[in-house]
Amino acid sequence: MTAESASPEEFERLAMPLFDALYNFARWLARDQSEAEDLVQETFAKALRGFASFEPGTDFRAWMFRILRNTFLTSRTGLRAKMTVPLEPEDEESKAVNWETPEALALASATRQALQFALEQLPVAYREVILLCDVEEMKYQEIAEVLAIPIGTVMSRIARGRKLLRQMLAGERAERSIPAATARGKLDQV
Amino acid sequence: MSCMEWQNRLEGYVDAELPPSEMTAFREHAAHCSDCAAAALALIETKSALRRAGHRYTPAPDLRARVLASARAQAKATRVESADFGQQKKTAKLLMWPRGALAAAALVLLATGLFFAANRYPRPKSLGEFADLHVTALASANPVEVVSTDRHTVKPWFQGRIPFTFDLPELQGSPFTLAGGRVAYFHQEPGAHLIFAYQRHFISAFIFRDTPQLAIAQAPFSDRGSSFNLQTWTQGGLRYVLMGDVNAATIQQLADLLQRRQ
Repeated sequence: MTAESASPEEFERLAMPLFDALYNFARWLARDQSEAEDLVQETFAKALRGFASFEPGTDFRAWMFRILRNTFLTSRTGLRAKMTVPLEPEDEESKAVNWETPEALALASATRQALQFALEQLPVAYREVILLCDVEEMKYQEIAEVLAIPIGTVMSRIARGRKLLRQMLAGERAERSIPAATARGKLDQV
Repeated sequence: MSCMEWQNRLEGYVDAELPPSEMTAFREHAAHCSDCAAAALALIETKSALRRAGHRYTPAPDLRARVLASARAQAKATRVESADFGQQKKTAKLLMWPRGALAAAALVLLATGLFFAANRYPRPKSLGEFADLHVTALASANPVEVVSTDRHTVKPWFQGRIPFTFDLPELQGSPFTLAGGRVAYFHQEPGAHLIFAYQRHFISAFIFRDTPQLAIAQAPFSDRGSSFNLQTWTQGGLRYVLMGDVNAATIQQLADLLQRRQ
């Protein structure tokens, strides 16, 4: 990048519109307000320092999210999260998703609150990929750039993340609907 | 392709990541297969439910200004300092003062706003609230959410953000330029807050739906007691409030431009 096009003004012009999205993502990752604020602050400082190395014409949004996410991974919460996520069976995959079970509908009909709770409980490796795909509406290729993983892994993590969410929410719903099921059972006996 | 094969491609379909030929093929398949159609629909709804749930956090109002201030200080420091290895520490020190300076500037501006609001005695209450909006926006490091001098960018930006539309005048040949816009709230009602630049001054134009809460005097209004000038009128069910630290004639000139446009 030329010295002129890598100016701080140019950086601001490109980066500030992403501010809210980056903060939202940081907050979901860190799950703590002041930590998220520090993350965003550090991300902007790092990005500005490294702006000269940003290649114009490439994906600036992916670049910013990558810096934020790497900053998170080296933070205390990030390190802890990395340690506690079990290695996922990436390829074993949800080959046979049974789309006919109520599980498939559990997510679509969940309340916003229940969804947010489930998303919070999701291991960070799945949480981040769901956020980038469904909230930031990034393409698989862009997500692969942010996370520095192959596109196949992006796909399997998205599928598995959604599956985990469905299971969590279906489980919750099943618990809630037990009395109804019992009632139906009784009716059947009559 | 069988249903089983399609169902393994469902995620790719709803994420619009299948090759175009497969996207079309799936649509044709789903037209005849209710199971696959229902599964795709559930997944599409899932995606939009997640999108809504995921947009959860908004930054504290001052965070943007804080981040911007330290980025600017950092940029300034980098320009001033030659690139040596000891630079980072110095930058860190330099980061400290602009934050304080900015906070002080914001306080002064806010105090001005409060003073103005507190001394608006004979005026209806709502004008003071607009003054607060004006001053608070200008005190922020990012006064506008959509930065553009192009009315064809600013106007569409408001679509879906406010419950009405409005027209903007062509400013070419006038002394005004459009600096941008943001959504403002007045009694929980969203409206447009446009900021126009005139020489080195900024003029706020507020556009809200005309509701009974907006009980403001109809007549042009100029306030000699303060450095602010105001102009307000209703037009097409919308209430316009212009406000800025320029003279009354300038405000009137901008008001004329906006009124002609409607």
